[in-house]
Amino acid sequence: MLLEISDMRVHYGKIEALKGISLEVDEGEIVTLIGANGAGKTTTLKTISGLRPVSSGSIRFQGKNITKVPGHKRVLLGIGQSPEGRGVFPGMTVHENLLMGAYARKGDLSKDLEEVYGLFPRLAERKTQFGGTMSGGEQQMVAIGRALMTKPRVLLLDEPSMGLAPLLVAQIFDIIREINRRGTTVLLVEQNASQALQLAHRAYVLETGQVLKSAPAADLLNDPEVRAAYLGGDLGQPEEETSETG
Amino acid sequence: MKTAVEKPAKSGNPLTGARRGFGRAMDRVRDRWADAPWWQRWTVYVLLIGLALILPSDFFASFMSPHTHWPSLLFNPIGVYILLAVGLNIVVGHAGLLDLGFVAFYAIGAYNMALIGTKFGWNFWAILPIGILMTAVSGIILGAPTLRLRGDYLAIVTLGFGEIVRIIAENTDAIGASRGITNIPHPPNMFGLEFLLDPLPYYYLLVGVVVAVIIFARRLERSRVGRAWTAIREDEDAAEIMGVPTFKFKLLAFFIGAMIGGLTGVVWASKVIAIQPANFPFILSATILAAVVLGGSGNLPGVMVGAFLIAWLPERFRGLADYRILAFGAALVIMMALRPEGLLPSRQRKAELSEGSGTEASAEVGK
Ligand SMILES: Nc1ncnc2c1ncn2[C@@H]1O[C@H](COP(=O)(O)OP(=O)(O)O)[C@@H](O)[C@H]1O
Ligand SMILES: [Mg+2]
Repeated sequence: MLLEISDMRVHYGKIEALKGISLEVDEGEIVTLIGANGAGKTTTLKTISGLRPVSSGSIRFQGKNITKVPGHKRVLLGIGQSPEGRGVFPGMTVHENLLMGAYARKGDLSKDLEEVYGLFPRLAERKTQFGGTMSGGEQQMVAIGRALMTKPRVLLLDEPSMGLAPLLVAQIFDIIREINRRGTTVLLVEQNASQALQLAHRAYVLETGQVLKSAPAADLLNDPEVRAAYLGGDLGQPEEETSETG
Repeated sequence: MKTAVEKPAKSGNPLTGARRGFGRAMDRVRDRWADAPWWQRWTVYVLLIGLALILPSDFFASFMSPHTHWPSLLFNPIGVYILLAVGLNIVVGHAGLLDLGFVAFYAIGAYNMALIGTKFGWNFWAILPIGILMTAVSGIILGAPTLRLRGDYLAIVTLGFGEIVRIIAENTDAIGASRGITNIPHPPNMFGLEFLLDPLPYYYLLVGVVVAVIIFARRLERSRVGRAWTAIREDEDAAEIMGVPTFKFKLLAFFIGAMIGGLTGVVWASKVIAIQPANFPFILSATILAAVVLGGSGNLPGVMVGAFLIAWLPERFRGLADYRILAFGAALVIMMALRPEGLLPSRQRKAELSEGSGTEASAEVGK
């Protein structure tokens, strides 16, 4: 097992956001974590990447217990994250953002940069543009590209479709599939459940800090309970996009 | 979002016109500078240092400071504020940590100079490294427990620290309590400069220190450390997951900022003969912060210009007697209204502030 989380509890002050979550991600998989707003998806990812401490429970990565390892060291072990709301460095150019992804490692980066620019030709056209002036979709690409520059074994993606036009969502999901095909394991958090379930191999449904269900993604697509709660009955209908005219 | 705030300003408001014009001119200067070849830059550096050296002359005094002794003014507050602002800029401008108690480090440096100088009779040059080290350690003592706090909390704790240092000095008899320390020794003579009552030698000493600190700060800014600070300032969580040890680098910013604050304190105390706790009020921390913000937080030349103006304007307006502070306040308000991002912000900083107002529509189509 690449990533193994058992009975993880996380608190914000006195509020218990995660009430004992267990989940596993195997080498090569795309696993998705779906659930309503406030279910604890972001908290789960942040705890895996080391931005939040656990109250109890453990996180094992490649067989090693990393529960106490600080966030900046988990990157070196192979945990890469594209945070919720993208977290692009606004005052750095696209290129500088990507280089930040390689901050903690040495060596020649040209091949890795080439690969990221190959995945996102749009970024190659805009290397010198400041991150903060990019559109939402482009920032998402920067965030994913930057995470790839850390050379992750597992890529944690927090709602990459948030606020994007349907066409762009499809494009981002294609790229995630491609990243996975090239050998990177993906743990994908989504509110856009139908598309995430179509992409992933397995899925966990989170509700108020607990795992409600876990099953192969295809099964959940046909699960009446999941359909009613998260798919709104009609499949393949991506979320409404609020236009971001500047 | 921010675009909404900007919109109403577009309708032919004269202030907006002035603001745009001024901003564009400043930005052009900065961009020219960024693209200038090295020899042009070095020529400018040499000219600036030359200017700093002839600045105390009567010619400049006649229009820069008709009311006050110009060389005195150049040392303190102008030189002192500039050096403090360069130090605070590392903490606020680079690492993005709001420190409202920066005066504490200045005080600790000054008290080190005063105490060691009077009690042990040590030489200024021997005290200097000790003062800097002691201040840096105090930066760590303040930072280690507090830098895990964010934003407002850090500002409050640092504000408290500044007050605590002053109040401890006021209530400790061993360091003179509220009377402070007198008979602080001057630096020994060197290069034919006699460090007595004439402010000029101290001014030259300060110019040397400022140049050295600027070189140091610039090198840091362009190193891995500088990049880490930028990342932390822009998004701390994102920095951490890129492998930046955020806590360590924040502590380092406090450490280095404190060193520069302490250095300023030592140099200042070596001139003034006597220091008192009242020399280190909260308002001084606030003033230096104002200098950093006014000049363009994060941009070294901007911050220095800001400190110069904040130090110089109230003296320049001295002829207005009671209206002096009013004029100074008005000047500050006008400058900030014309240029909310600071007089000379870095390109980077501007991009940070304009986040979210980019050209979204065209790019969202996606190909
Ligand atoms: N910084 C925070 N402080 C306090 N509570 C928080 C914080 N972040 C999240 N929470 C709470 O934790 C719970 C889980 O939040 P989150 O992980 O962001 O959910 P999701 O990503 O699934 O929408 C929610 O109840 C939320 O209100
Ligand atoms: Mg979330």
